[in-house]
Amino acid sequence: MKKIVFTILAVLLVFVSCDEGFDELNVNPTKAAQIAPGNKLTKAILQTSGGRYENWRANLIYCSTMMQHFATIPGYWTGDKYSWNRGYASSLFDRYYPDTVKTVEDLLFQLNEEGHPEEMIAVTRILRVFVYHRLTDLYGDVPYSEAGKGVIEGITMPRYDSQEAIYADMLKELEEAAAALGTGTSEFGAADVMFNGDLSKWKKFANSMMLRLSLRLIKVDAAGAQAWATKAINGGLMTSNDDIAYLAHTNGPDGINKNGNGEVFSADGSPRISETFMGFLQGDPRLPILAARRSDGSTNPADLKGLPNGLDSAGLLDLTGEENTDAYAEPNRSIITGEDAPMFFQTYAEVEFMLAECAERWGLAGGDAEAHYNAGVTAAMKMLSLYGEAAVISDTDIADYLVANPFDSNNALEMIGNQYWIATFLNEYETFANWRRTGFPVLTPVNFPGNETNGTIPRRLTYSGSEETANPENYAAAIAAQGPDVLTTRVWWDAN
Amino acid sequence: MTKKVLKLLLAFGLLLVTYGMQAQITVKGTVTNAADNMGLPGANVVIKGTSQGVSTDFDGNYSIEVSDANAILQFSYVGFSSQEIAVNGQTTINVALQEDASQLDEVVVTALGIRKETKALGYSITKVEGEQVSLVKETNAINGLQGKIAGVNITQNSTGAAGSSRVIIRGNTSLTGENQPLYVIDGIPMGNDVSGSASLWGGNDGGDGVSSLNPDDIESMSVLKGGAAAALYGSRASNGVIMITTKTGKGQKGIGVEINSTTVFDVVDTSLQDFQTSYGQGSFGAAPLTQEDALNNSSSWGSRLDGSSVVQFDGVSRPYSYTGNNLKKFYRTGTTFTNTVALSGSNDKSNFRFSATDLSNQDIMPNASLNRKSFSLNLGSQLGEKLTLTVNAKYIREGAKNRPRLSDAPGNGNFSVMNAAPNINVLDYRPGINEDGTEFRINSNIFNQNPYWAAFHFNNMDARNRFIGSFSVRYDVLDWLYINARVGTDTYARKSTATEPWGTAYKPLGAMEEWERRYSQTDSDLMIGIDRDINDQFAVSAFVGGAQNTQERENLKLRGEDFVVAGLEHVQNTSNQTLEHQYFKKKINSLYGSLEVSYNDYLYLTGTVRNDWFSTLSFPGKTTPNNDLYYSGNLSFILSDALELPEVIRFAKFRTGYSKVAGGADNPYELALVYGIDGSHLGQPFGGVGGSDPNQIPLGDLVAYNVDEFEVGLDTRLLDGKLSLDLAYYSKETTNDIVPVGTSSTSGYSSALANIGKISNKGFEMLISARPVSTDDFSWQTTYNLSINNSEVVATDAANGDIQLGRTTSNLTQIRHFVGQPYGTIYGTSYVRDDNGNIVYENVANGVPHAVRGEYKILGEGVPPTTMGWTNEFRYKNFNLSFLIDAKFGGQIFSSTNRITTLGGLHKQTLEGRENGLTVTGTDVDTGQQFTATVAPEDLAEYWSNIGDISEAFIQDADYIKLRQISLGYTIPSTFLEKFSISSASVSVIGSNLFYLLRDAENIDPESSYQVGNGQGLEYFGLPSARRYGVSLNVKF
Repeated sequence: MKKIVFTILAVLLVFVSCDEGFDELNVNPTKAAQIAPGNKLTKAILQTSGGRYENWRANLIYCSTMMQHFATIPGYWTGDKYSWNRGYASSLFDRYYPDTVKTVEDLLFQLNEEGHPEEMIAVTRILRVFVYHRLTDLYGDVPYSEAGKGVIEGITMPRYDSQEAIYADMLKELEEAAAALGTGTSEFGAADVMFNGDLSKWKKFANSMMLRLSLRLIKVDAAGAQAWATKAINGGLMTSNDDIAYLAHTNGPDGINKNGNGEVFSADGSPRISETFMGFLQGDPRLPILAARRSDGSTNPADLKGLPNGLDSAGLLDLTGEENTDAYAEPNRSIITGEDAPMFFQTYAEVEFMLAECAERWGLAGGDAEAHYNAGVTAAMKMLSLYGEAAVISDTDIADYLVANPFDSNNALEMIGNQYWIATFLNEYETFANWRRTGFPVLTPVNFPGNETNGTIPRRLTYSGSEETANPENYAAAIAAQGPDVLTTRVWWDAN
Repeated sequence: MTKKVLKLLLAFGLLLVTYGMQAQITVKGTVTNAADNMGLPGANVVIKGTSQGVSTDFDGNYSIEVSDANAILQFSYVGFSSQEIAVNGQTTINVALQEDASQLDEVVVTALGIRKETKALGYSITKVEGEQVSLVKETNAINGLQGKIAGVNITQNSTGAAGSSRVIIRGNTSLTGENQPLYVIDGIPMGNDVSGSASLWGGNDGGDGVSSLNPDDIESMSVLKGGAAAALYGSRASNGVIMITTKTGKGQKGIGVEINSTTVFDVVDTSLQDFQTSYGQGSFGAAPLTQEDALNNSSSWGSRLDGSSVVQFDGVSRPYSYTGNNLKKFYRTGTTFTNTVALSGSNDKSNFRFSATDLSNQDIMPNASLNRKSFSLNLGSQLGEKLTLTVNAKYIREGAKNRPRLSDAPGNGNFSVMNAAPNINVLDYRPGINEDGTEFRINSNIFNQNPYWAAFHFNNMDARNRFIGSFSVRYDVLDWLYINARVGTDTYARKSTATEPWGTAYKPLGAMEEWERRYSQTDSDLMIGIDRDINDQFAVSAFVGGAQNTQERENLKLRGEDFVVAGLEHVQNTSNQTLEHQYFKKKINSLYGSLEVSYNDYLYLTGTVRNDWFSTLSFPGKTTPNNDLYYSGNLSFILSDALELPEVIRFAKFRTGYSKVAGGADNPYELALVYGIDGSHLGQPFGGVGGSDPNQIPLGDLVAYNVDEFEVGLDTRLLDGKLSLDLAYYSKETTNDIVPVGTSSTSGYSSALANIGKISNKGFEMLISARPVSTDDFSWQTTYNLSINNSEVVATDAANGDIQLGRTTSNLTQIRHFVGQPYGTIYGTSYVRDDNGNIVYENVANGVPHAVRGEYKILGEGVPPTTMGWTNEFRYKNFNLSFLIDAKFGGQIFSSTNRITTLGGLHKQTLEGRENGLTVTGTDVDTGQQFTATVAPEDLAEYWSNIGDISEAFIQDADYIKLRQISLGYTIPSTFLEKFSISSASVSVIGSNLFYLLRDAENIDPESSYQVGNGQGLEYFGLPSARRYGVSLNVKF
């Protein structure tokens, strides 16, 4: 009897010290306390390329149709008719901050904390600027200096920085990062899935991005634009299609491995080549690579017809008597819509077009706008070979095109702008930004009943609805500074 | 260990064989109420000194085998004085018991399985008998409690027959954590995991843990509402405890056989919807002209239905006429067959009961079904004088096929059926598949699924094998000292397959997932206790003990995207395969003690103390405590025994108590940021921040939260016990609640774990029951319960930011906590109004006023604060009739059905102005002036689409009064049955969910959230409500 009581008491005493092993029990056995910076860089680059979600909504549904690369009939392609779907409009904002921004800021913090080599930090800073410039170009004032620091600095409601301040800092960042880079290979090595650790390519990318950002300032600070463009040119730009900043994708296994646009094309058969884009591609050897007839896949230029923007099915019937859009061209599904297609961040062709503009405006880069223009067109046609064999354009065809469409110095900026617009097809964020800056090509807005913009092409996309409730004060301050959170408000560098 | 168990089982088997080997005499008789000479059904007849006994039948008759001619029989009945009568060779003993309200020695099972007289309890506990729960069979037995207990709020929601329910006792205790009660089955906690639920993006409800329970096995359910009752179960009981006692073989002479058979039919309740039927498919007031047009514009903004021939989605032209109710055509009559066979037996040393049940359900959704087979074995045995052993084992095998997809459109057939234009006949959507095996499209929006494709080609199934077992042993060291040890486990493996087939419009190559979850919860508990009278006046009952709870969960998921061979649905037949593995483990260790002192059997004082250690609050190097000590005290005072009260008051008890409960985090691994490798790209592994919630900022200093509760109550019996009244008031406050506070996603995270949430619930409960008529042939028993719970969010985080619990895909409507507001308010965009309350419009000059989307406002309460139930039971001779009316008031619901059917021109409010235009009066935002404009018929869609962004326009009151259930039963006279050696038989017809006496919400069931999580109040095309009709048969041999 006593034995039993003592046994029980002994058992109870064991319980008293019984948080034995609890500390270890609550350490997640399936996760690590830290991982290598290279693992994070790979992820950050993938997240920059993005997923189906935002590529569908922000890049294609909005930007590509507003920019009249594509035209669509169904109403949920809201960019085609300038209607407002808040979730679609904010999709890049909604995905970039919790995904891309978080990874990049966390990586940068780790590199600094752990004292990794300067060039790894510089590479990360360059990628970081790419991420933020895409955000600010699309939305205007956005969280920047305080963004992505929920854990690092405990900032849960970041303030919105003015686009002017963000641009100043991004240019400074690019300048410092480029200065920190020489040649050779970074410790990221092959984890750098964009440039395989090649520091000279990162340096060129930094300067080329600096050139892109400098020209964005043209309407608000022409002198600053010229100064930064000069600095970028002197720093060393991309010099061939080997320098293109792009990410190669694969057909899986996960969504993130795939080209987000490609995933959209797999799922959504609605986009047609816009009548506007089709007009520009006449006589262009790129046409049969980029477009194919929906009904039978024909790429014979004679079979390729562009769909006007701003039509619903009733409008289509009224206008053409057609019941569907099978007779129209869509993105060529045998070449450019693959889930393993490359995703371009910035191309050498764009750089040449920007140089042409610099030459035209300020006599920079040797002052020969035509040479740069021709180099740009050539590079833009040649780079399609990254889509595979079927997309190789012969030198003869390129030469013929340039002969048939010679550079006209009286119309230089428009020609450059139009070619830039063609060359950035599918990187619609960039198309939209450059169009707002240059006004080229001259697009005729549509005016669908009930549109949100009074028949004008939107000038930005709108913030995330969740900011209205999750970050109300900073959201309100951003609107007070920038203007109403609507599609027609202009961002800082897009002055009237 | 297993060998020992086998030996024990063998021993039980031998005991069973020894039945009927002793010489026995049979004593028969009737137990009646001395006041009216009516038979007392369910009175206990026990042979003194043994556990052998029987209950009287409906008429008060009993029959008991007595092995000793000198035995003494004890006759007892709740609320009556007991009597003891020596057998002395008699074979007929009739007993008339005296009613005695002061003798309320009803025994209930309280925390840790301790049996207590109700009069000693200083807190609220409500017991419901098994028959009441299983009267009208629900596929989820817990739904049988709805409307029956004050303070228990059950929401069934539109999750399908195999879906989950939400059970909340005395309001939501935690801002974002688990709020459902702890289920304890035969003393062992039972897991109540929800195996997946629909989100705002769609999905289905995988059912919850408690739904596995077989209603035919339930002896009774006791609801321990307050913290005082639950203090001894620790933190997991801070939401209240539902204790389920399953049937045993006790009191069954020889081997008894019981058969229950129930058949229930579900018929979709089309009386809920009232959509327009006079305008057909189209846009801008015109019918579609082409197939493409019909595919692009599925909405009902066409012209007036005129019988003309109009092309539809499939290119076929059909009469432009109303085709009848599509819900009736698409949904089928659901059926549920439940059959139980139970064997039971006992002798003076041991008892057993075994039951087997088969439940076969065909849901109203075509091709959706559920099958559940349950086997249950209870063994109890007295080994020698002092040792009592009890073994419970349940094995449940459950399989569901095609749980209906809910919420957002992908895969959700409900969405397409409900939104079909009046001239569309959903039967024309059949068979849902093209000759090439792809989905037969009904809409150019790829997410709007053909409902037949969704129902017949999305192959989803799940199977769960579950074992719940417990073993307990009690050793009575002395007649006042005992030791009790118990170990139990609830473990299951659930395998599910979800397929998005090849050829689905939104996923042309398809995808599938194989998912396996292994879950186990193990509890062990050891206590030592005393029960002792100190002198004539004082008695003591006390115990101390220790307990350990371990929960483990492991998920394995294989996902394959893009089928290679069309039609072969195997995860390896895909071009992209990914895998996912998750693992959770947590433990709680506890020490506890209780002391009860009673004085003169009319004053009881009880105190408890407990300390819990939580692994979820532990981490290497953590400096804040991972444990918390808490306690309770309560008092019960039998006024009617202690004081001279007026004659009319037969019994009165005053009770009051205070308790504190502490709890740890629900989830493990939330204290530190962790990283994971997510995959690889071009041969390079990649990863980043990634715990169980990579978007949550962890909190390293996490400590326990507390729930403090004060309760006071009065329990009275008046007018010779014909009327009883039980009142309770409680006030409970949760502090240091562990909450993920919403952060701006631009911080990189969507929430931050915080430890300062505070919520209060104050409430009032009333239970009145009366027996106005009680004669030989006729009796009427009526019971009404009411509870009002007022919740208030007191604090969230340092900045008192708000917390989001749920939202719509558009984010225009959300469920959020706001400081100073009730739990889970509906928050969304509102109209802009001028000073006179007129709605402000823009775009007036262009002829189509657009309502201006105003600021986010609190638009309603997601949880109804007032619930009530009214049960009536009539008996006339062998017939009995009972019905239950239940009601909820004060809640609201945001109806996506009404929003989307308004945008689509199907809602009746869109009829106005279709011919001559809609007159809109309001204030023009540009001029500030009043205007009256006429919206042309072709612009109505545009006018309404702007209103679609205003959540306020689609908030509806969720108030209802409903005839929840009704049953009419007939007990076949025993004189007739004796010939067939049947001891009792009854047959009932039953109905539930029959109709509303009051309903404010248009077109929807006011209880139709698509999930059972904390964010209640969002409706989005769940399964429509069904009326249930059935027949039930019970036979005992």
